[in-house]
Amino acid sequence: MISRKVQKDLMTFIMYIFGFLLLWEWLRPLEQLTDTSNIGVFLLFIFTSLLLSFTGTPVLIGGCIKWVFIVVALHILYIDEAFFQFKWVFVFITDFIESFQLVFARDWVNLSNLFRSFLFFVLLWLMTYLIQYWLINRMQILIFFFMTLVYITVLDTFTPYEAGLAIVRTVISGFAVLGMLTFFRLLDKEGIKKEATLSRKWMVPLVTMIVVSVGFGLAAPKAEPIWPDPVPYLTSYGKGSGEGTGVQKIGYGLDDSSLGGPFIGDNQVIFTVEAESRHYWKVETKDVYTGKGWITSGSREVRSPFGSADQVPITSFFNSPGIEMVKESSTVYSLTNNSHIVYPLGIQKIDAASFYSYELEVDTEKIHSLEGDSPASIKQYTLDYAVPRYSVTALNEASSEENIAVNNELINRYTQLPEDLPLRIQDLAKEITDGKDSWFEKARELERYFSRSGYIYDQKDVAIPADDEDYVDQFLFDTKQGYCDNFSTSMVVMARSIGIPARWVKGYTEGEYKGISESGSRMFEITNNNAHSWVEVYFPGIGWVPFEPTQGFSNSVQFNFDAASQSHDLPPEMNPEELEKDKPELKENNEKQPVANEDSLKKFFIPIENFFEAYWKMIALSILVLAVCAFVIYRIRGRWLPYYLTWRFKWTRKDENFQKAYLLLLRELDRYGLHRKDGQTLRDYADYIDRFFSSREMGRLTARYEQLIYRGSLQKGSWMETKELWENLIKKTIA
Amino acid sequence: MTHEHIHPMIDKILKNIEKVMIGKRSVAELSVIALLAEGHVLLEDVPGVGKTMMVRALAKSVGANFRRIQFTPDLLPSDVTGVSIFNPKEMEFEFRPGPIMGNIILADEINRTSPKTQSALLEGMEESSVTIDGVTHRLGKPFFVMATQNPIEYEGTYPLPEAQLDRFLLKMKMGYPDMADEIEVLNRAQKVRPIEELEPVIDLEELIELQTQIKEVHVDDTIKRYIVELASRTRTHASVYLGVSPRGSIALMKAAQSYAFMYGRDYVLPDDIQYLAPSVFAHRIILKSEAKFEGIRAEEIVDRVLSRVPVPVRRLVK
Repeated sequence: MISRKVQKDLMTFIMYIFGFLLLWEWLRPLEQLTDTSNIGVFLLFIFTSLLLSFTGTPVLIGGCIKWVFIVVALHILYIDEAFFQFKWVFVFITDFIESFQLVFARDWVNLSNLFRSFLFFVLLWLMTYLIQYWLINRMQILIFFFMTLVYITVLDTFTPYEAGLAIVRTVISGFAVLGMLTFFRLLDKEGIKKEATLSRKWMVPLVTMIVVSVGFGLAAPKAEPIWPDPVPYLTSYGKGSGEGTGVQKIGYGLDDSSLGGPFIGDNQVIFTVEAESRHYWKVETKDVYTGKGWITSGSREVRSPFGSADQVPITSFFNSPGIEMVKESSTVYSLTNNSHIVYPLGIQKIDAASFYSYELEVDTEKIHSLEGDSPASIKQYTLDYAVPRYSVTALNEASSEENIAVNNELINRYTQLPEDLPLRIQDLAKEITDGKDSWFEKARELERYFSRSGYIYDQKDVAIPADDEDYVDQFLFDTKQGYCDNFSTSMVVMARSIGIPARWVKGYTEGEYKGISESGSRMFEITNNNAHSWVEVYFPGIGWVPFEPTQGFSNSVQFNFDAASQSHDLPPEMNPEELEKDKPELKENNEKQPVANEDSLKKFFIPIENFFEAYWKMIALSILVLAVCAFVIYRIRGRWLPYYLTWRFKWTRKDENFQKAYLLLLRELDRYGLHRKDGQTLRDYADYIDRFFSSREMGRLTARYEQLIYRGSLQKGSWMETKELWENLIKKTIA
Repeated sequence: MTHEHIHPMIDKILKNIEKVMIGKRSVAELSVIALLAEGHVLLEDVPGVGKTMMVRALAKSVGANFRRIQFTPDLLPSDVTGVSIFNPKEMEFEFRPGPIMGNIILADEINRTSPKTQSALLEGMEESSVTIDGVTHRLGKPFFVMATQNPIEYEGTYPLPEAQLDRFLLKMKMGYPDMADEIEVLNRAQKVRPIEELEPVIDLEELIELQTQIKEVHVDDTIKRYIVELASRTRTHASVYLGVSPRGSIALMKAAQSYAFMYGRDYVLPDDIQYLAPSVFAHRIILKSEAKFEGIRAEEIVDRVLSRVPVPVRRLVK
């Protein structure tokens, strides 16, 4: 291969320095992310290699120097003996032989550090050679620069490595090298020799450009990401296969203490069930509202163990005449490694292999599955439970004075609210429930309030409350759009504010109906998209009754409207299949990304965003149509542009327009395919045109034009005289 | 170029020259251009292709005083410029003018003489005067030197110093005539020597008048800028050791004026520049030795520069 000589001037040196810095960016994260240490040695090696390349040291000598460097470095790093006793030679040889055997056995893991370091040196050697090749021979570095950026951004996204500064450094080095290489390429192409003054002329704007762009980049306000973070989505695939190394967790988040923010859908299947009817699946409940989210009042460690086939120690509702119960059972097939049980309201028994045992988190009613003492994920279990059918009359009567008094302790716990809860929440709750007496009626009013008042279900444009803002308050009065967490939390808080005990329930919706199984039961598939939260209200003497305030969701809880039914205008039951379709994308988990939280800005943008959201298809379509039209019009400009031009110059009499008209003619001829080279004179070109069209018009026109620009004067009326020539020529360019 | 009318007087000169020089129209044209632009010409070619004939025909056509200096290795500067001789009768030095005192000088095989003698001629060309024994003598007007030189690879030559080459407005080659032309040359040589029959077609007064008229030919700023761009592009070319000097730019402009005038135009076109640039620029460019080894010729560099620099097609806006 012919290699160019390295020019030993300052500019090339600077270029090498930046090349070195770019390569350095590849090594920087190693120390943090891998168990590589002594990066300095490797850096020194790169530096030496590039220096040898710059000085134009002959390959043989340079190679020797590098080999000595490698041997000495490996010696210093790994061998304690004195260098000149040469014992290291044997160590090296035996190590290398072993390592080679390991390589052939494809036993990569057991390679010795010595050998790994050696290989790394070889890799760096290759890299420095490549850098030299790119800089000096190819004079192109864009690919390497781009790869460096990709490398850094990927590391920044997926690992703890903070690439904020690295990006800036890379951009500076990359721009500098690109700029200088462009200069060299230009010199090479134009056959101009390199001169200090020329270099300076190039370098000053280059440096200015870099400084300004970097300065601007640093100083400019940085918008928060518009798209939700794709990383959890990407890593969730890894998680599903049990090898997830993603930094951020996905799935059933435990921490609900700060709710809000958008999230993205995730189709990972969590479990499938064979069930007799459709109902929600609970995982846990929370009782303490903090103003930002939910925590539990007690310790999660308070657990009550129970065994397989034991009665599950959860009392969802009491054996009361107000509830009709239908026994049902479902089989759950878990597809994740979660060690908790999903269960419906009214759970009675868990049936799985007998070596599993269970613990109930008393405070949250979350059921953990264990094998021996360690958490275990049960892949298949059968649940026995009672599906309740509540009597509305009983519910209405449940909130009598004496009932409340009896359950004072429980009611106190589930009417907890933060002290600084804005008063207007309570006011609103009172206003909504005005005129209703019983808790049940009030709860129904609260449940229906959201759909009546135009609250919007939205997963993306969901705010996070500011430090001094209440999560519920913000949703109820400010943003009025959100997903299940917003709706359910708001309902719980409103219910509590008027003294109705309620709690917040997390779990999954019934999932997607997948048909009838062989055994005749219905199969559902529940994905992360089906993660959900809703409300349970406590009625003394009855138990917990679920409510579903979230827009577009239905919990298919059955109420028995005996005598009281007239007073309630319940919405007609929706067909389950329809329901499925109408359902917006469901909440995925509790990992949410913060969005910019500047209220003023938000208020300004929300109408615009809403507009775009509503009409984006129209807008996109019209832009597309316009673009296509513009493109077509541009493509067929040969058909109409000449007419336009003749029309445009029809009424101009002034000679000043001659130049404009002539230059336009040149452009049209060029478009027609008759190109004029840079060094071609007009007269020469006119000859060419006239030969092409077998005319003499261009020559005559050009002779006039020459007078205008090279003689500097034109007889009056020249344009009027030559206009006909010009028009004829323009018309010839009509495609 | 052909659909323009050649200035009638110049046309007469050219026709006259063509009577003796067959198929050498472009060389004749260039010579006339140099004469009208008050420049000098370097003709580089092998002996016997009609260099001397060319100059003599030109001299005869304009009725000029023709002198010829045959340069030999032993020629002295005084043989060129003239010498003061002591006249014992009058008891004082008397100046005997040398051949340089003519109007049209043929400096034949200029590269065969010593640099000292060469520079005597070259100084005269530059200054239009010579100084002998402290007395400055004006040279004739018009004063036109046509130097010939054998291609340098011939033995026993003193190549002109590069700086001196700059003094010539144009450098051109005669080249061999083609077959038909050469047969015609033989035909004519059979009878009489045609050169003896040539009559002047204009006189020196008219020639000087033409020379002053040429200076009036308009060179637009766009054209000047084009010339300067061409020249500066030769200076930054990678294969070039020394590019075209500002004197070269001036030379190109003057030659172009002359050329435009010849074609009856009172303004210069980029076409004129492009036509003349190789003749005016090539001998002023000194190539790097690497480039020479690679076989690159100065003419190629000029051609490349011409094709690179955009021709101005719009008026300069000041």
